[in-house]
Amino acid sequence: MKSRVFVNAASTISHQPTFGEKGFSGSLTRLEKGSELLQPVYREYIDPVMLRRMSRILRMGVASASDALRQAGVASPSGIIVGTGLGCLQDTEKFLTNFLTLEGLIPPTAFILSTHNTIAGQISLSLGCHSYNITHTQNAVSFEMALLDGIMKLEEGGNEILVGAADEHIPFLDKVAAEWGYDDCVLTSGVSFFVLCGSPSEKNLAEVVDTTIFTGTCDRKEMINSFLDGHGLKREEVDLVLRGGKPSEGLAGFSCDVVDYAALCGLYPTAPAFGFHYGIDFLGSAGSGKKVLIVNELNPLSLGLILLIGIEA
Amino acid sequence: MLTDAYVTGMGVISAIGMNVGENLHALLHKHTGIAAVKTAFGKEAVMAGRVDSDDETLARNLGFSRFPVSRTSLLGMTAALEAWGDNRQIQGLKTGLISSTSVGGMDKSEVFYGDFLGGGHADYGVLVCHDSGTTSESIAELLGISGYVNTISTACSSGANAIMLGARLLRSGRLDRVLVGGADALTRFTINGFESLMIYDREWTRPFDESRVGLNLGEGAAFLLMESERSLRMTGNLPVGRVTGWGNAADAYHQTASSPEGKGAALAISEAIRSAGLTPADISYINAHGTGTPNNDLSESVALKNIFGASVPFFSSTKAFTGHTLAAAGAIEAVYSLLAIREGMIWPNLNFAEAICDTGLIPVTEPVRSTVNAVLSNSFGFGGNNSSLVFTV
Repeated sequence: MKSRVFVNAASTISHQPTFGEKGFSGSLTRLEKGSELLQPVYREYIDPVMLRRMSRILRMGVASASDALRQAGVASPSGIIVGTGLGCLQDTEKFLTNFLTLEGLIPPTAFILSTHNTIAGQISLSLGCHSYNITHTQNAVSFEMALLDGIMKLEEGGNEILVGAADEHIPFLDKVAAEWGYDDCVLTSGVSFFVLCGSPSEKNLAEVVDTTIFTGTCDRKEMINSFLDGHGLKREEVDLVLRGGKPSEGLAGFSCDVVDYAALCGLYPTAPAFGFHYGIDFLGSAGSGKKVLIVNELNPLSLGLILLIGIEA
Repeated sequence: MLTDAYVTGMGVISAIGMNVGENLHALLHKHTGIAAVKTAFGKEAVMAGRVDSDDETLARNLGFSRFPVSRTSLLGMTAALEAWGDNRQIQGLKTGLISSTSVGGMDKSEVFYGDFLGGGHADYGVLVCHDSGTTSESIAELLGISGYVNTISTACSSGANAIMLGARLLRSGRLDRVLVGGADALTRFTINGFESLMIYDREWTRPFDESRVGLNLGEGAAFLLMESERSLRMTGNLPVGRVTGWGNAADAYHQTASSPEGKGAALAISEAIRSAGLTPADISYINAHGTGTPNNDLSESVALKNIFGASVPFFSSTKAFTGHTLAAAGAIEAVYSLLAIREGMIWPNLNFAEAICDTGLIPVTEPVRSTVNAVLSNSFGFGGNNSSLVFTV
């Protein structure tokens, strides 16, 4: 059964002042190369024993998840759903290096922490949470896949669902980008977590109207039109478009502002989660009934669409 | 009224066969696919379940020539194509694909990275097939499927979670039919990983045996084609069984070890049986996770005793046939579960001699003819990701 989907908490660790902040969306400037991630004091969110072994993506993921749950006042969610494009790269690279270069016994820690599901697993461990736990990894649409799963969980009767996205930069990626001729991108890390809930309350920050994902060749203009049309909307009724990737002809014809979120947060496969948080933040001040469309064209092979609406005052 | 997920197509490639027929033959005749495998120059051979075909042959059989491509993708494409069979796109039927993998294109990346560290020529081009999502995209492209294409990665429970997600998407009406499964290639990364954890058996693995010391890895892929009732009416396909129950729970105990009481496992099993509308007494056969590691098999045995009490149904692990195929395991064992229903057979657990002292559970060790109405299949993974599925006639 269809359920309404509200976002009750949003937490992002990025290069921008997003963590623990509200109203940031009005004042962000384009990310320049050499900029540093603004990381929180992790020991305020993570058990020090766990913290010591954690790579950056795990620290960022567990801290952001914990922050989102605190904001929403949720101790243990009824689902932990994570999207990641490339998973735990730091530990993957470390274990590769270890077994390719070391003789004799190899330490297992990097292997243990290298699997994509480590982020969601460590969150369940830190909370002692036995609920539904899953990791989606579909390149640039991994976040939308996680979000859709969260929406389905609410339809199936879940209460509060933790949905997030995490990707990690390692210096080796810059080498690959240079080899592939993508020198101009700012490749980086980013993590976002959100608490979804099916019931209206004063905690609601925004409402998720829908999300859809399409992989393969399609007429993008037609896809966007039919997505909006499915909710009785026309292009001119959208108040803000957040886009990432090389814009296709599908983005023509919007009269509102079109903001490139990847220029603000840097490039990583789950950057649309930053766009999602940006949209929620925008709606916090723009007010009731405003509509935000998030268009993910980071990968030319797939299209991700999310429609958010401001909460009725 | 809840829509069921009808399975109308199956495909599998593993160390015991290149297709469903060959896998069935090996299960019936107790032929294992595990043998000594060399993974790199100068390295000692390890006991593993290797698919008996090189990348070039797999690609040629598929008529696939867009290189580079990971072995994981080639295995996935082979099984997906078998499951898809003669089906084609039908106007008005929303068709999706959910694969799962834990290594993705690591079989190519680890070769690249060795060259890279060695300072010689390293081909950056192969890295396009590294990420897991690319595996599913290449399978979808081969079959001409577009729209919802996704990849699950929850370590050793990935395949089961892909099937579960597909069944939920059918039930929600978002898809009418969906190919679900998983694929993983043997890699030095995972062999070294399980060796570093000291749970890689140098000999042939012995699931549920008191003397077990670890797993043997394997490689392979399997896919199911699942359809809603609406889709069945349009395709006219005949179901071999249904996916009727599923449970996913986090053990939340340790990143790699299972809790001694099998808490996450028991939660996943009981939810799968409950959601299928069954009771434990209705289960005819359990295809256990049974990796052959001391920790998993004990924890799983305790969970089985907690759920089924004194009357644990017929059960076996088929991992001594195929090796542990990681993300593909849940999908390969889903095919074996459906074959158990179709053939009226219980598959044997190879290499069992003596029951685990603490639990005393004895698996089925010979192929047994029996009426099989409902099968429980368990998949438990790193990160405490535990999932169980129930298949029925």
